[in-house]
Amino acid sequence: MKKFMILIVCSFLVMITTACSGEKASSDNKNEVSLWVHTSKETAEGKAMQKIIDRFNQEYEGKYSANIEFIPRSGSGGGYEDKINAALTTDTLPDVFTLDGPNTAAYAESGMIAPIDDYISNKDDLLPSIIQQGTYDGKLYAVGYSESGVGVFYNKQMLKDAGIDLSTLPTVDDPWDWNQFMELCETLVNTYDVPAIDMGLNDKSEWLMYAFSPFLWSQGGNIVNEDGTKATGVFNDEDSVKTMNFIQDMVEKGYTTKTPVEKAFQTGKYPMKFTGSWTIAEMESSYPDVEYGIMPYPTSPDTNKLVSPSGSWQYAMSATTDKKEAAGALIDFMTSTESLTEITLANSVLPAAYSVVEEVKDKVSPQMNVLIKQNTKTGHARPVLPEYPQVSRTFQQTISNVTYYEKNNDIQKLLDQKAAQMDKALK
Amino acid sequence: MKNINVRESIAAYSFLSPALILLGLFLLLPVLMAIYYAFTDYYLLTPDNRQFVGLENFIAIIKDPIFLQSLKNVALFVVCVIPVQIGSALGLALLINKQRRGNLFFKVAFFAPVVLSLVVISVLWLYLLNPSEGLINVILERVGINPQPFLTSPDQAIYTIVFVSAWQGAGYQMLIFLAGLQNIPSSVYEASKMDGANKWQNFIHITLPLLKPTSILIMITTLIAAFKLIIQPMVMTQGGPMNSTMTPVYYIYQTGFSDRLIGYASAMTVVFGILIGIVTFIQSKVSREDDS
Repeated sequence: MKKFMILIVCSFLVMITTACSGEKASSDNKNEVSLWVHTSKETAEGKAMQKIIDRFNQEYEGKYSANIEFIPRSGSGGGYEDKINAALTTDTLPDVFTLDGPNTAAYAESGMIAPIDDYISNKDDLLPSIIQQGTYDGKLYAVGYSESGVGVFYNKQMLKDAGIDLSTLPTVDDPWDWNQFMELCETLVNTYDVPAIDMGLNDKSEWLMYAFSPFLWSQGGNIVNEDGTKATGVFNDEDSVKTMNFIQDMVEKGYTTKTPVEKAFQTGKYPMKFTGSWTIAEMESSYPDVEYGIMPYPTSPDTNKLVSPSGSWQYAMSATTDKKEAAGALIDFMTSTESLTEITLANSVLPAAYSVVEEVKDKVSPQMNVLIKQNTKTGHARPVLPEYPQVSRTFQQTISNVTYYEKNNDIQKLLDQKAAQMDKALK
Repeated sequence: MKNINVRESIAAYSFLSPALILLGLFLLLPVLMAIYYAFTDYYLLTPDNRQFVGLENFIAIIKDPIFLQSLKNVALFVVCVIPVQIGSALGLALLINKQRRGNLFFKVAFFAPVVLSLVVISVLWLYLLNPSEGLINVILERVGINPQPFLTSPDQAIYTIVFVSAWQGAGYQMLIFLAGLQNIPSSVYEASKMDGANKWQNFIHITLPLLKPTSILIMITTLIAAFKLIIQPMVMTQGGPMNSTMTPVYYIYQTGFSDRLIGYASAMTVVFGILIGIVTFIQSKVSREDDS
């Protein structure tokens, strides 16, 4: 028994010492680059990344080599970010790592990541939304390796049955404005007596920022001012009020709902759903019998300018790395047309560069092509701000509050309040 | 003689050391660090540039409407959940205290929610309470009651969370009450029977007073656990609608790890820690006064 206790105590001490020693992710070899990614090895994305790294090691044999480490994230990416934060505190960041679009500004501002302008050879080929997302303070800090987008998915049969001629539906070149879209909703609600569209209003997370901010940009408004220092005077101006009124009308008139039925579009209960490229994959694998099409974002009647959401995970270089050349070469390699095409096709996501659009155009579904076209022409990155988490959460709360139309009739008052809340974070 | 004492205490401390080291490393040290960070502007991504800012964080807390709202919410939660949860725990314990057929089944059934993870419970209730096609609303509709927006109405959400939390936690307190009930000697009941007491009198004059030490323990543990409410609102409502289910711990978590303001979040933990300390102190004072 005594021996057993000693054993326990000893193993405990060993545990502590090994836990504290901490390994440095970056090796001592000058030409060996370490890379952390947030996906798991088993996913399509992970497999494609592994293939790209293998090709890199082959092509640069004798010059550079790269190691990839998969750090699967849990839920909304918290697990991976915790690991990055911990590595930052203990100074054990890898040379290259992935980060989500909205983190660019905070990481750049804190001096965690280095500008990579000089290492990226195909900057002109990358989509404007990718450059916008990765640029902070005039310098390019990160390059997204794919894109994302949202559109109005509609059930062809249900629309036909409601007497709608599918050939009159909007396209990316000729989008509908909010009023036209609401007329369609009216017809559908009258026919089916259910909400016409599931806009994901039950999701109180980043979705509300990501999917609803393009309405504001289409109207000509914005969330914060140009230099990212103030929201009052911007987020509570007339354009914001009009946008929020549109969203509130959608709920108040019963065109959409705060509490949609689970999978209502996929199972043919609601005729339309506001969702992104990931649903294309879901429809293909789980609901192959549903015939559906995709419409572009409805636009503001004042401008008729189509704006759509965008954003994705990106590659960036750690600011503390002493292997800038090798790390830069790796990022450039991973964002070349060939590598981007590989990841786009494997993971069924939207392409991040013009040349990749050409490569994949004929290999993906017509629905995917609508989103690709919309994204290439009209993708808008989320604001690049160090205080993004607070700004985004306040925006989400605003959308959520607006949907409670009985309690928030006075939209101006709500926006004044929320703009002040953002100002507090931006100071 | 003295020698033996010294050797004995060395032995004693070495036996205590694993626990002490763990306690120091994972409890005491973080507490001290949090107090220190509370006076700095620690930003998660720039750990080396933190600066001493004095009471700035604490002044900001007093003016933070969301934090104040979260305190109000958790106070309401505690006030509602304690009687509901402890009351139902006592009721369940009384029910299964008697020898009956199938007692074991009920014991397991009442205890089962405690074993399940809180996240699982929350997701489960999220489905049951769905306003459009959740089971509960379907039943309500059959009975002729309009579907209720349990979790999507700012006026109902916190009470829904009270109910779910009490449902989940009551099984645990039930077991403790059961142990307390079984510690009451049957001779006391026999004596009262001789005096002609009925069941209700038995309960009021014997069961309750003799359960008092157990009840105090349960009160304090439930109170502290209730203050730490985070998982249910995190999964079921994300603090909404309109911050009506935002709790201090959830807000601290959000501020610290998504907004990355560790300094400010630490200051809130210090304030909140002191508040819990005061409440617990008052509670133990009150229950001790009752004793004398």
